[in-house]
Order: sequence, then structure tokens, then C-alpha cells
Amino acid sequence: MTTALSVRDATKIFGGTTALDHVSIDVEPGEVRALVGQNGCGKSTLIKILAGYHIPEPGTSVTVGGQELAFGDGTASEAAGLRFVHQDLGLVANLDAVDNMALGQGYITNGTQTINWRKERGAAREALAALGYEINISVPVAGLQMSERTAIAIARAMSPRGTPPKMLILDEPTANLPAAEAERLYALVKRVAASGVAVLFVSHHFDEVFEMADSVTVLRDGKFIITRPVAGLTEEQLIEYVVGRRLEDADHGGEARPHGPAVIDLQGISGRTVRDMSLTVHRGEVVGIAGITGSGREEVASLIFGGHGHSGVITVDGEALPQSRPDISIDRGVALVPAERHANAALMDQTLRENITIVNPGHHMTLGFLRRRPEKSDVQTWLERLDVRPPVTEFTMTQLSGGNQQKVVIARWLRQEPKVLILDEPTQGVDVGAKADIHRMVDEAAAQGTAVIVASTDHEELVRVCDRVVIMRRGRAAEVIERSRLTPDNLTAATIGRDVTDGAA
Amino acid sequence: MSDTKTAAGVESVAKPKKRINLGFDRFSGLYVWALLIIVFSLWIPDLFLQTSTLQQVIIFQAISALVALGLLLPVAAGAFDLTVAATLTVAMCFTGWALTNHHGVVIAAGGALLIGVVVGLANSLVVVKLKVDSFIGTLGMSSILVAVAYRITDTSQIVLSTTGYAPFFDFARTQFFGLPLSVYYAAAIALFFWWILEYTPGGRYLYAVGGNPIAARLAGVRVNRVTTLAFVASGVTAAFAGIVAMATIGTAGADSGSGYLLPAFSAVFLGATQIRPGRVNVLGTLIAIFLLATGVTGLQLVGAPNYVTGLFNGVALITAVALAARSARRRA
Repeated sequence: MTTALSVRDATKIFGGTTALDHVSIDVEPGEVRALVGQNGCGKSTLIKILAGYHIPEPGTSVTVGGQELAFGDGTASEAAGLRFVHQDLGLVANLDAVDNMALGQGYITNGTQTINWRKERGAAREALAALGYEINISVPVAGLQMSERTAIAIARAMSPRGTPPKMLILDEPTANLPAAEAERLYALVKRVAASGVAVLFVSHHFDEVFEMADSVTVLRDGKFIITRPVAGLTEEQLIEYVVGRRLEDADHGGEARPHGPAVIDLQGISGRTVRDMSLTVHRGEVVGIAGITGSGREEVASLIFGGHGHSGVITVDGEALPQSRPDISIDRGVALVPAERHANAALMDQTLRENITIVNPGHHMTLGFLRRRPEKSDVQTWLERLDVRPPVTEFTMTQLSGGNQQKVVIARWLRQEPKVLILDEPTQGVDVGAKADIHRMVDEAAAQGTAVIVASTDHEELVRVCDRVVIMRRGRAAEVIERSRLTPDNLTAATIGRDVTDGAA
Repeated sequence: MSDTKTAAGVESVAKPKKRINLGFDRFSGLYVWALLIIVFSLWIPDLFLQTSTLQQVIIFQAISALVALGLLLPVAAGAFDLTVAATLTVAMCFTGWALTNHHGVVIAAGGALLIGVVVGLANSLVVVKLKVDSFIGTLGMSSILVAVAYRITDTSQIVLSTTGYAPFFDFARTQFFGLPLSVYYAAAIALFFWWILEYTPGGRYLYAVGGNPIAARLAGVRVNRVTTLAFVASGVTAAFAGIVAMATIGTAGADSGSGYLLPAFSAVFLGATQIRPGRVNVLGTLIAIFLLATGVTGLQLVGAPNYVTGLFNGVALITAVALAARSARRRA
């Protein structure tokens, strides 16, 4: 039986970084292999090489079903029998299942070039049934459940277009699925494997690894670490492979910050992904929120700010915050520095002055007229205080680098002297210098008694600024890691695996 | 997760390029206007260089100016309001109908302004609550309004005799220093909106909503409320323009207002390239109005056929938006 996929010495260098360093793996037909590792370990680089998106360094060789694979060519990868389903599935929301499955491969036509709908529909139903799904193929896929959509994407990938599929490659297949639907998908993947196709999936979720995979390959820092059967593997062992060392109790040199009384309290908060979250933050405290995609971490910041609807109660100094009223949240002293400043925070074509004063433009008004000069000097002070470069109030946001843009957004909120400051991915797209400045700002805000909440995927950042970190897993606040045990590795392990709170198995 | 706007990690400390600053980027309109005046003065000096010509240009534009100024607020907030011309029409027809049916000036004018408010609220309902795209929504609404105008006028024209309604005509036609009152109304509204857009928090909120409604909302701006007020302001101003138009012209029909739509948008968008490039503003709009009016009047005096107005306005609108897009790309 020819090996489904054989990778030898896969190497890829970007500028000065070696993303992949002589990685070799083999996957047999019908085998389900999990590809696991931290952010930056090289797993997505490997997948992109297989997909033809990157061309690897000379010396790399990949064979699919015994045939050498031509690099840098998506059609060649497909012709070789590699089929990909990415995290966003690549379906068109307003088309139905039949149309989506025809995307990229064409329709069954009669001699006159008209579509033979009966045969099309039949083929679609058959393909889905082979995977164990009976789905309404006539409604737009937007109305179907996530697991059904994933099934459609996989059915499309599995259809024989010219060459039969030899290997199905999935990226975080159950990341966006609730637990019940994830179970259905595990069964689907097993069916695919049973048909003789090899399956390779990239994952951060250990449940996927233990439920679906026959074997697991671990990469770390671009290097191959190990491939071994899942049978007999424990979570602790897997974490150790991923992270590289036994998790020790961290020793934090820094003293715990003194806190004041509680200022903001969440009770039973639920949103789209978040389920029943409760949290209390005190004055002068910095609380972090960590979690992988789909864990709810990305929703927490805007839920707390009240920007979007939720159920449950949020109180600030005893007063409940109404839902979907950012203006009231701001009045009550809550401030949000959103993620993706371009889309959510920056008024790009407007001046720094207008960006900073938008929360309270009436601050400098006399006799019904906004006074520009006091406004400019007020803003100038803030630009200098936060070391924005260049500190010119009349420049527009587009004229600043990402790090400085972010500082301007932060200035907007610090100027309001909020009781609660929420930061969502505060140093995303920010250079090293500005990053350090922003972390200092967080320190200073806390020192002045502001309660700070930082949601971030940057674990080093969380370790740098937080007193404690709440770990989100599948929508729930699963555990809290106190400062004494805060390390980037502990955070990684906690977000993808089990509790770190007890040392023993 | 890198910032796509700047090259990896490099700070763009872009200072504005030092050029000989003749103000081309902010005052090009004035230069073009001057150019037009020179061209026509040389071409048809006897016809063009008369005080009556200047008066004609200004008076002719008073109503247009009112419509364009009202349009500024919704456009600043990022919404199209295609109902302005139709609202003007309905207000004109209503005023005429009310006066000819002896309801008195107060009912006529008050009712017309109320119509403006209702139109603004209706637009807001469609765009804000029903989330219909503002272009499509106000397009549909304007069609409805024209139908209303036909109903009011019974598909004919309403004519006010000058003798019978002298006080009403005085409202617009009385002259001070050689210019009719309608011009002063336009000037007053211009000052009012200039104050709002430049010197009040409301103006900041309007531009913020127009620039990035998500960011504005998260910064505490009541986006829906701001948009609604913008539509109402636009509706009331257009209605007021309708009253002034009726008092100036004296005849109203369901087709009276349609000619005001394109010039208003041309003026607003051409104005956005002036004074405060990249955003619609009062002074720029006024410059644009006079520029366009001078061009059209000059062409008419030269003897060009009537359709030249449409041609001129169309070219001006396309040129204005193209220039604006180009300078926006350069600024980014």
C-alpha cells in the first residue's frame, strides 16, 4: 500500500526566520493524523506548502500516493489528490448546497450545456449520505447548522474531480462548533478515513486530537518533534511535547499589586459564544482574558463594555449597565479600546485631535462655540504624554504608524479617566517600542486605581501586565491563573488543554 | 495580524510635502471660478460684465443653495438623501394649494415645514430602522413624494397671481441692497450649518458617523439619533427651499423640483474637494455653487442651448468625485 503522504526534509525560510526546519512525516491511507503545535511552530506553513501557496526550499520532497508533488501550484496539489477545507469553509452563504458543491468543479450538463439538475441533486445527496449526513440541499447554506456546512465543505473536497482524493486536510475543523455538533464531525472524519482517504488536520483542541486522530505529529519552533499513536498518550505528555518542558510553578519577581474595592461585577453573562460567565474586577487590578479562537475570548471585551446584547447582569459600582448602550457605559466610567482599530476605533481620515476628543467634544466650549485652541493644547498634552510620533494634533490617523494610531485610541480613553478600562488585543499590529509603551500605560492606569481588563492572544503580554488571567474554553470561564503561576507556557497549555491548577495527573 | 497600512514595523513619519503652496489642493475651486470669469469676460464682455449678470447668477442660485446646504448634513453622516428635490416639490405644491384654498400663510408655510419634518422621519425610518441602503431608500421615497405632489396639484399647475398674494411674494422677492430676501435666507442657513458642522459637538458626531459608524458608536455617539436628525434637517431645509421657491417663481407643479437634485449633489461633492478636502463642508459647497452657476450663466449668455446646464452639472459631478477619490488615495 503506497503511503498517502510522504514529506521529507520540508524546509521554508522567510527572510531571516526558519519557519520549517527539515520536517519529515508520513501518513498512510485511511489514517487520521493530527498536526499540533503552538502558534508559530510551522504547522500552517507546512499546510500552505502542500496547498501550493508557498514554495519550499530546495531539498524538500513531497510525494502523494507515490507521485512527486509539484510545488507552488494549487491545481497540481489538487490533481495529486490533496483536498483542503479551511477554517472559514469557503462556502457562499446565499447559495444552496448543490451550488456550493458545484463551485470550482462545474455542473453535470446535458448535451445542450444546460444543467441536469436531477443528476446534480442526486449526486449531492449521495455525497452527503456517504458522509452520514442528510441535509436540506435546497436552502441557502447560511440557514444550516455549522456542522452541516462543514459536512458540505468536506463533501465538496471529497468529490472526485479528475483524480480521486488521496488526502483530506482540515484546519481546526471543530473550532466553531458546539460540543454536540463536534461529535457528529468526529464520526464524519472517521467515515472519510474508512473509505481509504488519509486525513490530516491541524488543531489546537485536544478533544479533537483524542477523539478523532489515530496518531499525532507535534511540531515546535519549525522542527519535527514526534509522531506517535494517540492510543496510550496522556494530555500531560502531549502538552509536554507541544511546550517543550515540564510545566513548573513560575516564580514571579514582581509583587502583587494592591487592589481597591470591587468596581465591576459580571453575573451569568452569555453572548454568542460566551456562556454563563461571572467575574469581579477591583480598582487597580489588571485581569487578563485568554483563550483560543472560538473560546469566547474575542467576545468578552465587547460584552463587558455592553456594546452588544447579552444576557446576565453587569454592574459598575452597584449600578447595572444597560445592554447595547455604549454611550451609557461610557457615562458610567467604562472604556473600551476595541480590537482591529481600523474597523472599530479609528476615524482614519480625521485629525488626531478629532479622534481623541470624539468621546466628549463639548469639553472645550464657550457660548455655543467649540474653542479650537484650548482643545488643541489639551490634545497636544496627551500626544506628548503618550509619546505619539509625530505629536501633531492636525495630522490625520492615516499619517501615523500602527503603534502610534493605537496610542491615539488609548489616549482617547485615558483622557476620560475611566473606572474600568477594557483593552482588546491592545498591541495587535504594533511595533516593539510602542508595545512596551502601551504596557507601561496599563501599569500606570492600574496604579491610578483604574480596573483594567485585557483580552489577548499574546501570552507574553498577559504575563507582563496581568495580576491574574481568566482562561476561556468553549465559551466558559474555565479557570483562573494567579500571578504566581503565570507563564506563557502555562497559558498556552491552559487555553488548549486541561486545568493547570493541579500539578499531578 | 500586521497593520496593512504601513510597511512592516516602519514608522511613517509623513510630513506634508513642502510645495509652493498656492493652495491648489484646498482652493482649486476659486481658481477655476476665476478662470471661468476671465474666459467669459473676454468672450462676451458686453453681456457678461454687467451687474445684472452677477445678480442673475446669485439670485438664480439661492434656492439651489438652500437645497445643497440641507443635503450637507446627511452626506456628512454618510447617507444619501435623494428626496431633497421631491420634498421641495411637495412643499411648493402644498404652499400653493394651501394659499389658493385660503388657508392663510401660516398654515401654508407651517404645513410645508411639517412636511419636511415628516419626510425626514420617514427617511430615517427606512434607512435606520429598516436598514435599507440610503441611496435606494431615499430614491424610492422621492418617487412616492412626486406622486403625492401630483395628487396635491391634481396633475396640473398651481399658479399664484402676483396681485392676489403680494405679501407672500414679498417674503422672497423684497430687495435689500439689490439682492432679494431669498439670498439672505440662503446666507443665514449657510451660517447656521457652518456653525453646526464646525463648532458644535453635533458636527463632530455627524462626521464621525460618516467616517466610521462602528467606531463612532463605540465612542458613545448615538448613531441612529444623529442620522435621524440629519435627515430631518435636510427635509426641513428642502421644504423651506420649496416655500422660498414658490414665493420666487409663483408656479408649482409636480415637476417643479426635479431639476434641483443633480446640481445640489454636484455642489456638495464638488464642495468636498474645497477648503476641507475629503469632507463635505459649507464654504466649499458655496464656492461650488457659484462656480457652477457662473459656468452655466456664461454658457447661456453665449447662446448655448438649455440642455447645456445638465451637461455642465453632470461633468462637474463626475470630475469632482474623481478628483476627490484621487486625492483620498494620495492621502492614505
